[in-house]
Amino acid sequence: MSEPTGVPRWVGTALPLKEDVRLVAGRGRFIDDLGQPGQLHAAFLRSPHAHARIVSIDARVAAVHAGVFAVLTGAEAARLSGPIRPLIPTTAVVSDYCLAVDRVRYAGEPVAAVAAVDRATAEDALELIRVEYDPLPAVVDPEEALQPGAPLLYPELGTNVVWHDTLTYGDVDGAMARAHGVLRERFTIQRYASTPLETFGAIAAYDPGLDAFEFWTNDQRPGLTISILAASLGVPQSRIRLSCPDIGGGFGNKRRPAYLLICALLARAAGRPVKWIEDRIENLTALMHACNGVMDVELAYQADGTLLALSVRDVADEGKNLVTPSQHNLIKLGNIANGYRIPAIRYEAWSVLTTKCPSGANRGIGKPFMCFAIERAMTLLARRLGLDPAELRLRNYVTADQMPYTTPPGAQYDSGDYPATLRRALECFDYAGWRAEQARARREGRLVGIGIATSIEPAGTNLASYELLTGRRTVSGSAETAMVRMEPDGHVRVSVGDPSSGQGYETVIAQIVADELGLTPGNVAVARGFDSATTPWLYLSGNYSNKFSVTDVGAIVGAARKVADKLRRLAAHRLEIDPGDLELRDGAVVVRGAADRRVAFAELARTAYADVLGLPPGEEPGLESRHAHQNPLAAPVDAQRRVRSQLVFSNAAHCCLVEVHPRTGVVTLLKYLVAHDCGRELNPLIVEGMVHGSTVHGIGAALLEEFRYDQQGQLLTSTFLDYLKPTATDVPAIEVERLEHPSPFTPLGAKGVGEGGAIPGPAAVANAVEDALTPFGVTIRSLPITPERVWRWMRPGAA
Amino acid sequence: MIAPAERLSIRLTVNGRVIEREIAARRSLADFLREDLGLTGTHVGCEHGVCGACTVLVDGESARSCLLFAVQLDGATVTTIEGLTPPEGLSPLQQAFCAAHAMQCGFCTPGMIVATTELLRTNPSPSPGQIREALGGNLCMCTGYVNIVRAVARAAAALRGGAGESS
Amino acid sequence: MKPAPFRYARPKNLADAVGLLAAADHDVKILAGGQSLVPMLNLRLVRPAVLIDLNGVPGLDHITPSPAGGLTIGALVRHAALADSAAVIERAPLLAEAARHIGHAAIRHRGTLGGSLAHADPAAELPAALLALGAELHLHGRRGARTIQASEFFLGLMTTALAPDEILLEIGVPPQGPGWGFAEVVRRAGDFALAGVVALVGRPPGSSGRCESARLVGFGVGDRPVRFAAAEEILTSPGGDASAAVARAASAAAEACDPPDDVHASAAYRRHLAAVLTEDAVRQALTRLDGARPA
Repeated sequence: MSEPTGVPRWVGTALPLKEDVRLVAGRGRFIDDLGQPGQLHAAFLRSPHAHARIVSIDARVAAVHAGVFAVLTGAEAARLSGPIRPLIPTTAVVSDYCLAVDRVRYAGEPVAAVAAVDRATAEDALELIRVEYDPLPAVVDPEEALQPGAPLLYPELGTNVVWHDTLTYGDVDGAMARAHGVLRERFTIQRYASTPLETFGAIAAYDPGLDAFEFWTNDQRPGLTISILAASLGVPQSRIRLSCPDIGGGFGNKRRPAYLLICALLARAAGRPVKWIEDRIENLTALMHACNGVMDVELAYQADGTLLALSVRDVADEGKNLVTPSQHNLIKLGNIANGYRIPAIRYEAWSVLTTKCPSGANRGIGKPFMCFAIERAMTLLARRLGLDPAELRLRNYVTADQMPYTTPPGAQYDSGDYPATLRRALECFDYAGWRAEQARARREGRLVGIGIATSIEPAGTNLASYELLTGRRTVSGSAETAMVRMEPDGHVRVSVGDPSSGQGYETVIAQIVADELGLTPGNVAVARGFDSATTPWLYLSGNYSNKFSVTDVGAIVGAARKVADKLRRLAAHRLEIDPGDLELRDGAVVVRGAADRRVAFAELARTAYADVLGLPPGEEPGLESRHAHQNPLAAPVDAQRRVRSQLVFSNAAHCCLVEVHPRTGVVTLLKYLVAHDCGRELNPLIVEGMVHGSTVHGIGAALLEEFRYDQQGQLLTSTFLDYLKPTATDVPAIEVERLEHPSPFTPLGAKGVGEGGAIPGPAAVANAVEDALTPFGVTIRSLPITPERVWRWMRPGAA
Repeated sequence: MIAPAERLSIRLTVNGRVIEREIAARRSLADFLREDLGLTGTHVGCEHGVCGACTVLVDGESARSCLLFAVQLDGATVTTIEGLTPPEGLSPLQQAFCAAHAMQCGFCTPGMIVATTELLRTNPSPSPGQIREALGGNLCMCTGYVNIVRAVARAAAALRGGAGESS
Repeated sequence: MKPAPFRYARPKNLADAVGLLAAADHDVKILAGGQSLVPMLNLRLVRPAVLIDLNGVPGLDHITPSPAGGLTIGALVRHAALADSAAVIERAPLLAEAARHIGHAAIRHRGTLGGSLAHADPAAELPAALLALGAELHLHGRRGARTIQASEFFLGLMTTALAPDEILLEIGVPPQGPGWGFAEVVRRAGDFALAGVVALVGRPPGSSGRCESARLVGFGVGDRPVRFAAAEEILTSPGGDASAAVARAASAAAEACDPPDDVHASAAYRRHLAAVLTEDAVRQALTRLDGARPA
């Protein structure tokens, strides 16, 4: 890719973050810190039943409770708004409104809403709402839910199965028949979620004069949310304004247009803005969980461990989700081969509804489970063949000289040296040394284990993959827009349609633009968050799928270069020189090789904004440019049903050392090292932080986190007392080694890093614990690995 | 004997300023600080005392402001993140957090600063294990804690090195 | 989550506190540390009409060494104060150790000994420690003062002998011997224990025979702290190999448990932990008896 027009100095430096300065002083502005004059506060009445008909709702007493200004029930919502459009179109079409209308389908589903002078009063009023329910049987197991005769969430669909399809690439059956052997295993994964520390929230306001709505929210997908709100509220998108302040962590969790819709309807009814902040119980119970599920894996191999074919049957439990169903399935398909050459692949997908919290795009969107299944299978295969687990992997990786490599389902691995990544990890971890130490420990009766797991870590999602669900394409590609404006004083302002949720955009974007324009990051102000009135945006805009490095950067660079080009044209006109002889440096346009011949940006900006008669002929006033970038790797589904559902691939290798207490089963992580390659690191501080944090998400899923339901669909782990997050004492310092194989396909060679360790982390820990329990012959097929489960595995007769 | 009441008057000191208010008995200290006093640096993450985002200093000791009612604080002294930030610039501890990139979304950070301030007052040379233990009551969902531990160690060294030394 | 409305009072003396308690006619909760109560208020799991804040009553937060060698500890003493008190560390180190394991610093700064006892969570450390120590609880109510042994105080799941009009004032802790042990299993540091055992044993120094005295109490293994009487019997019975006796005592402890089944652990696992932790706690105690530090 072409070089920046300025002198590159800032991209790649570990520049401390601008936003950290205000965050460390408590000067962030999060949604709960914002307020509109006269605002009311909302609370939602939620179903106590996992599945029930709503026989009647009587909110009349609540409506006249002191301090209450508006009450909304499902029937009213259905009258006042349209159904919530799905983000992912499927063949299962139903009408779901922002509140349950005649039926509730998970415990915690909102049934009614109140707006009152404060949250406490609103909650008092909720208790005055009388709802009569006629309970129906819950269905909590996805394999039960897909059987005929299971209780149906939507009887009109006749099934709980949203998608069932088999996609076959290559001669899988032939390969299985010819193989030296086939490893067959069944894996399950629990429900869990990244649970950002800040919960979801919104303020909605209605202007009756303009018949227009305004929202403030920490929603991660503003482009998409505006579209859904407009459709449901029956107003054109031009009469909706949505802005995002600082977002306290997202990880895919913060997106629920229905909640904004409820606030909008309350605001219109009450004639005052309405604010709603999700409490932690609501968050854990009802926002979103990563799909739990079951995966049957068949891995065919040669005698030397070379992989021949992979067949996966994947049942994904979507809870009550007809807004983004099958997302996990599609992403798993796109990443099914992990980093390996597997010539023939079959994927049978089920996405199934159950009477539980809706599923959603939690960090990794299905890849943690896909990686868990493949990396566990590889480790088990190594065990079966008597090979070191690293050796088996090295034999099967796609290698650097094979890049770009397209997997049978159509994923293109663009760059990376997977064997080198693993070798670096093993070397820096001192794998050989710890194996020796393990042997010594075993002789003393200590249960020490080493686990490795490696993973591709894709960035950018091509929404064309949704076509696999319906055969029709309505959304596609990966794109983002950016605006770069040089102000009249020569400083620069940038905004991008992707609101940061902790990824340091204000700093890294400033670094990129500073390089393009020959400025320092201190001269480049990046707008906080998002504002649909001023931020350029597309439906595809937002904070998801690690797309920043691989898509947003193109928009930012493109917009910056347009401004740079204009600066050179203006300076060329002023200096009477060819623009090609000019470069941007230190806040001025300078003649290359003659530093005294220069024009300062502020001077050119004065011409552009104020002294417009001084512009070159044909040149517009102003120094502001927008650029929309579409990731060129995205392409439609082809005739063989292959598609690049994700676009650019980082990779990592995790090595983990554990010790298991032989009598209590308690697992202690002693050492954890990640070698990762995300191509060109735009800001190594940000990158390393992402590796640390994402890896701890993986560890949490492996050892601690589980949303557990009883047979009646009641969530048993609905507070942080019962849903356990890793603390500083639960995880070791994550050591990080870096490799750098830039992508040839991204504007700056950078690749994604946000999902990172969340993907291979669970597999690495599981492999380590299983290794520690070698004397007991245990096979770990599910998570989380609790002390009790370890104890049970160690008991005689358990294997 | 005073009769129980739903609204009470309190007088307390917050970040060095004396505050007098009449408030509802059930108003948490967290909500009082954030909404009545506009001190939004203290954050609410769970309202059941687990996550630590709401941690402040009450009479010099760390406490969960979501588990205190403001009416309990009559006569007390409260220090929030705003009170731990100098009028100009940042404290050495805050500077260390920035230098080490010990935050990402920033939501847990005020609570971390309060907990760390308390740790370093009582243990100026904490080991990494002691740092992790002292921060064990503050959840962070973003950083994986690595940089936070580094920042605290860095700050401890800077503070031991003398008041004039910046990190 | 915001609490249901309540009226609040902060009495300035004990008589007023007792009077308010009596006047509130059952629909009342006492606020001490609040670390267990306030989450329940916020979740609307409890909805008292009146909340009586005891923190304004003087004289309830003392730690007073008693002439007999033990301590009298006020009900409002914070966990942090217990853990750090030189007098407690010297005279009842088991209690200091138990307090150290509660939650995190911010919790320990507010949570109180009295609150922990009155709340009576079966997985809590302090009730078990006080039961093992043979503590006496001094209560005060409308009808005046009374004293009750810890062994009579815990009646069932989060149920104590405190009458609705009574306040726990202080706890008398007898002198504790040097042979003590504390062992628990938690999912994360500071969490409620999945199971735990405290042990106090006595034996002539340097001997390796049977114990002369043993008090073993489990927590998290029943609906209240559980005294392992049969296990104590085994440890103090004459004859036999002392080490084997510890193992047999551990089995007896497991058998004495009727632990709960919940999201964190099954009854069977907790019973297993009771055995493992009894052994650990007893061995710790014996090590300390011999003047050494446990690993």
